[in-house]
Amino acid sequence: MISLEVQNNQSFDLSVIPFLSKEDFRNSVLEGMVCGYRMIGLTPLNNDEPEKLISILADARSSMIHLTGGVFDKNDLKFESFANLFPQTNYFECELAENHGYMLLNHPWLRPVRKQNMISGNKPYQFYKIDGEEIHEVAVGPIHAGVIEPGHFRFQCHGELVYNLEINLGYQHRGIEKLLLKSNSSQSIVLAESIAGDTVIGHSYAHCSAIESLSKTQISLRAQVIRSIAEEIERAAMHLTGLGGVANDIGFSLVASSYGRLRTLVINSLALICGSRFGRGLFVYGGVRFDLNDEMVNSILNNLQIVRDDVEAVNQYLFSSIGALARFENTGVVQNELAAQVGLVGLAARSCGIEEDARIHFPYGAYRYSPVSLINLSGGDVFSRARLRAMEIDESLRFVIDQLENLPDGEIKTNFGNVESNQGVIAIVEGWRGEIVHTVFTNDEGNLSHYKIKDPSFNNWYGLSLALRKTAISDFPLCNKSFDLSYAGHDL
Amino acid sequence: MEIEILQGIISLLIILGFSPLFAGLINKLKAVLTGRIGAPVWQPYYDLKRLFKKETINATVSSFVSRISPVINFVTVAVAATMLPIGFWKPLISFNGDIILFAYILGLARFIQILAAMDIGSSFEGMGAAREATFALFAEPIFFFTLGSVAFISGLSSIYDIYYSIQLNNISYIVFIVICSISAFLLAVTECSRMPVDDPNTHLELTMIHEVMILDNSGIDLFLYQYSGYIKLFIYAILEISFFYPFSAQSYLVGVMIFVIGSFILALTLATVETITSRFKMKNIPQYLLFATAIGILNLLIYTFTK
Repeated sequence: MISLEVQNNQSFDLSVIPFLSKEDFRNSVLEGMVCGYRMIGLTPLNNDEPEKLISILADARSSMIHLTGGVFDKNDLKFESFANLFPQTNYFECELAENHGYMLLNHPWLRPVRKQNMISGNKPYQFYKIDGEEIHEVAVGPIHAGVIEPGHFRFQCHGELVYNLEINLGYQHRGIEKLLLKSNSSQSIVLAESIAGDTVIGHSYAHCSAIESLSKTQISLRAQVIRSIAEEIERAAMHLTGLGGVANDIGFSLVASSYGRLRTLVINSLALICGSRFGRGLFVYGGVRFDLNDEMVNSILNNLQIVRDDVEAVNQYLFSSIGALARFENTGVVQNELAAQVGLVGLAARSCGIEEDARIHFPYGAYRYSPVSLINLSGGDVFSRARLRAMEIDESLRFVIDQLENLPDGEIKTNFGNVESNQGVIAIVEGWRGEIVHTVFTNDEGNLSHYKIKDPSFNNWYGLSLALRKTAISDFPLCNKSFDLSYAGHDL
Repeated sequence: MEIEILQGIISLLIILGFSPLFAGLINKLKAVLTGRIGAPVWQPYYDLKRLFKKETINATVSSFVSRISPVINFVTVAVAATMLPIGFWKPLISFNGDIILFAYILGLARFIQILAAMDIGSSFEGMGAAREATFALFAEPIFFFTLGSVAFISGLSSIYDIYYSIQLNNISYIVFIVICSISAFLLAVTECSRMPVDDPNTHLELTMIHEVMILDNSGIDLFLYQYSGYIKLFIYAILEISFFYPFSAQSYLVGVMIFVIGSFILALTLATVETITSRFKMKNIPQYLLFATAIGILNLLIYTFTK
């Protein structure tokens, strides 16, 4: 495979990316994927030059990221789709077609990603339909009965059984990638924080890592540890929210409110550090804005110790309740092979038995020195996803308590230089939901010229569709909550 | 005679007046049990007042069925309420065979509501109507194997007479009545769309059974639906509590006290059940209902053979 090999957060000169001809590009990318690499990006060099396409493949075994470029004819942007052989590229190709007008030959199922009327002459997109006397179609959303984000779901059902679910998103599109190119440095962090409101730390971490790599800024060990502490606190808090949501969806109100109470303690710990319960304002280029003092460390330790003990009791209660287990087990199953084929990431992948965790496979920040353990379950059902989250809470709390007890000394913020020109970087962060990828390129003047964000929700929404096959429609909310995907993160 | 009519009217007014309070009490207890402060017990009254003031909007595709359904629903439930005794006061409507009228006038309410749900043609409401109809099919026998078995044993067929006839002189009869009351509790849970069959607090339209049928109603229509929902809950609570009237030794005052204490205990039981259980899978609900029917049948058989 002809490619540029880089590590996570390693900046590289744009001129060293090999740009191949159409055929060589195809062969090289196919070769990579045959070796088991996973696509994490398919994006042009910048929006003005859609003909220079870059495919970004990640190899978990060697912790390397492979970039391969391809040059196409500007007036005839088309290539043979990879999706027939490697379904994981399907959604990336749809996005490419939608954003940059590529024609994909023999694509199995070209569907809109964020815009409702895309391909084929601005005609409204026709949903996949099943015909038959007893088939009925249920359309849910984009306006829902509860206060949740907008998304449209089309179910093709036979009685209570779902045969196909199609998910249509894009109602939250804010143009973040374009805004990031136009904004100054103090605005960018705020923008990055609001990519997905529940992954503030994850996205601002990825954004800061990318910009710091581009400007060759080294951040201190203390700042790295504080960042990881914040990330793990966010993970624990969101897993508690998710478990509470799952319990609430089966009407298990005692457990749901217990998780809610514990989550408050966890997010309050984050507020102790930076004043925001969601961690807004903690990250700056070159480190973190707020330092930890002994008093804070003690009260956070105190909080987390309480959470640790109580979570154990609540988990015990939830996962030994027959009613809850009857709802969780064998509901919304995604088979291991299928999950690997469509390229699920993060907790959805780990609950299907796929070993995948960017903190371990593409280590960054403090995880290079203090590793976390990889937690993996093989069921692929709602139970596995819920149980995995419960186990990850334990691991996150262990990590945070360990780190707080051994905080390294040092500055929390180093001087931040200027972004260098004609550079590129790929920053991978394991957010609580899964792998977050920020791909950033700069131009001749040292301004950002291209910014591509991939939230884990981008990969995993299709997993939800798969989970719903041959599942009762009344179990949809439970499955949805067990995946706990972001609409805003997908829509950008 | 006049005094009996007056007592009947007072009973009806008590049911109409206090039914939202009973629902509010359950919600309050549920909140307390899960460690929250919760909405005030008067919240259902505020909700009803708010709905009463709101504008009623009907779907443009809806026919007259949607318009008459809330009224019919309310009236039928109110008529059912007039057949129930509070304490040992004779209800307003009481005649031989009113147990059948009671069962099927509630059936009429359900029938018209299912029609109205399908009237708009929304896929959710159709789904909810299908579920409601299916589960009603399994719920109906429970009624006849609880109150019906007592009627069968006593040879009476008026709800008031049936409850009045319950005596506590025989230990196997007491066991029979207690087990009937358990079956009746399972019936109440199903009929009033409480946990673990239906979740009254869910906002997830795909999992709803009863709630989803009234998604498209607003204003006064929704007011009537909600109000009849509260009354229905209270009606089934009274059906349940009435099994324990014999303990009052047929005194009016003790009967009323049992009614009040019984309501509170029942609200607490419902709240506890809703706190510590999770909902069933939709496909397991018929099994649950058949289980309640089976208890009723066995109970009747065992009592008949051991008498």
